[in-house]
Amino acid sequence: MLKINNLSATVDDGNKTILEALSLEIPAGEVHAIMGPNGAGKSTLSYVLTGRDGYDVTGGDVTLDGEDLLDMDPEERAAKGMFLSFQYPLEIPGVPTMTFLKTALNAQRRARGEEEMGAPEFLKKARALASELKMKPEMLKRPLNVGFSGGEKKRMEIFQMMMLEPRFIVMDETDSGLDVDALRIVADGVNKLRSPDRGMLIITHYQRLLDYIVPDRVHVLSGGKIAASGDADFAKTLEAEGYDAYAA
Amino acid sequence: MSLDLNTLPTRRDEAWKWTDVRAAAKEQGGLSDVGLPKFTLPEGLTIMEASSDLAIASTPMSRLTSHFSGPVWTVNVPDGFSSDEPLLIEGLNRGHIRIHLILGKGASLSVIEHHASDENRFVNIDMVIDMKEGASLERAIIHDDPESCLRVATTHITAWRGAKINQYVLSFGGDLSRLETRVAVMGKEVEAALNGAYLLGAKRHVDMTSYIDLAVPDCTIRQAVKGVVTDKARGVFQGKFHVRKPAQHTDAEMRHDALMLSDNCEIRSKPELEIYADDVACAHGNTIGQLDENALFYMRQRGIPAGQARALLTEAFVADVFDDLEDETLKDSLLRKIRDWLKETK
Repeated sequence: MLKINNLSATVDDGNKTILEALSLEIPAGEVHAIMGPNGAGKSTLSYVLTGRDGYDVTGGDVTLDGEDLLDMDPEERAAKGMFLSFQYPLEIPGVPTMTFLKTALNAQRRARGEEEMGAPEFLKKARALASELKMKPEMLKRPLNVGFSGGEKKRMEIFQMMMLEPRFIVMDETDSGLDVDALRIVADGVNKLRSPDRGMLIITHYQRLLDYIVPDRVHVLSGGKIAASGDADFAKTLEAEGYDAYAA
Repeated sequence: MSLDLNTLPTRRDEAWKWTDVRAAAKEQGGLSDVGLPKFTLPEGLTIMEASSDLAIASTPMSRLTSHFSGPVWTVNVPDGFSSDEPLLIEGLNRGHIRIHLILGKGASLSVIEHHASDENRFVNIDMVIDMKEGASLERAIIHDDPESCLRVATTHITAWRGAKINQYVLSFGGDLSRLETRVAVMGKEVEAALNGAYLLGAKRHVDMTSYIDLAVPDCTIRQAVKGVVTDKARGVFQGKFHVRKPAQHTDAEMRHDALMLSDNCEIRSKPELEIYADDVACAHGNTIGQLDENALFYMRQRGIPAGQARALLTEAFVADVFDDLEDETLKDSLLRKIRDWLKETK
């Protein structure tokens, strides 16, 4: 599904190398976790995968279902099914959540040559999913994320995932700012989204989240490349022993 | 009699330093034309053609209308009047025009003005609004001129005790344009909200100038102006609250926030508070910035194309100045105009 092959990337107009020939393959149906120390390039990886400005790809390629992503704009990648759950979801004042999501959903559908979703169907789906995530209906009328708590913002990210039904989900530090209850709700949402034709990459500093979302594979990102890989138990070892052994 | 260009204000006048009318007028015809506005009146109101001088000639452009305009188009709104229909003023498309509205005690009136002209026109409008005790005015100005039009529209409002003013301006500019509002607050407990938005592309220019003169206690003023400029356009905001010594317990707030969407556009801003009373709450804020790149990426990551994301963020930025507009149909039509502008400029 998602193939990252020898990916290198720099920031600051090429002055700082963050990713160095990173290779990783996540097959459909699998959930992989990337762990690693601060500054290892975890967030950079998520931004390079989704096409944020300010990162220069200096080598390698990334394909989703065989299609090269790196030449696409962020919105094209989104339409192909890439979804990034942000560590700090943005507040968008003046744009109601429902307007935002409906615009996004139908823009993606248009880009894929599909028919747009009408208002009644959209509303029905939104209401059902909101109640599943125990979100207050009035949250959907408020401007996106404005005045939401950290937990509410993360729940809103899960809600967006469920509405947009992406092919591949990258979660950047999804557990930061969550208490145990919120973490459980978020993890339940993510687990429901696991499916044979969807892949996920979970970026996290701590092992805690992986108690709730059990990954198929765990990788250590250090020095801009994958330094080690293992199964779900590997995360516990890393938590106990730290990342020193993999320092670049 | 033709208009002497030397009577027009220039950049040497502090109040006009960013809006050089004389320079713009040199390339303009019809400087001494008489304008002919068109009024659609709500039932119960009539229009008179008065000839008397209004004697409020406090700005150089106002003085010119008293020389060159035709009659003073006068609407007398009786005490206690109210109507669901607005007073519609159109035909503000050329020449010098004088309009006088008198709102009787407790009268309530909604006014919608369409300021739109033909190519290559000079328009100079002077409007005087007298608001008696408890009168209430909701005023909307929609301004969209061709790029070759020079327009100055000056309004002098006198508000007596308990009067309420809600003014909404939406301007897309012209070659050179200035929409000036001057309010003399003469009675206690006056409440005024003076909101506006300007969206300018190409080489358009609009100048939103206001002067609020407070001479009595217990009045509330709210002003919020939002601007969006792109290409080589220029937006000017000049706002002044003059709080005289007797105007204790004045509660006044002025905000001007603008977005600059290109490298060659310009914003000139001068918010001023001049306060002589010692027990007042007065504040002003002024920001000039760009769209939030992080928010743009977030929206694009969700699949919203860059142009549409910019348009959504920009609309959200300007639209909130019209939040309190009571006439929902009018509000919708203003928002639609903003959306259309965003579609054309993206």
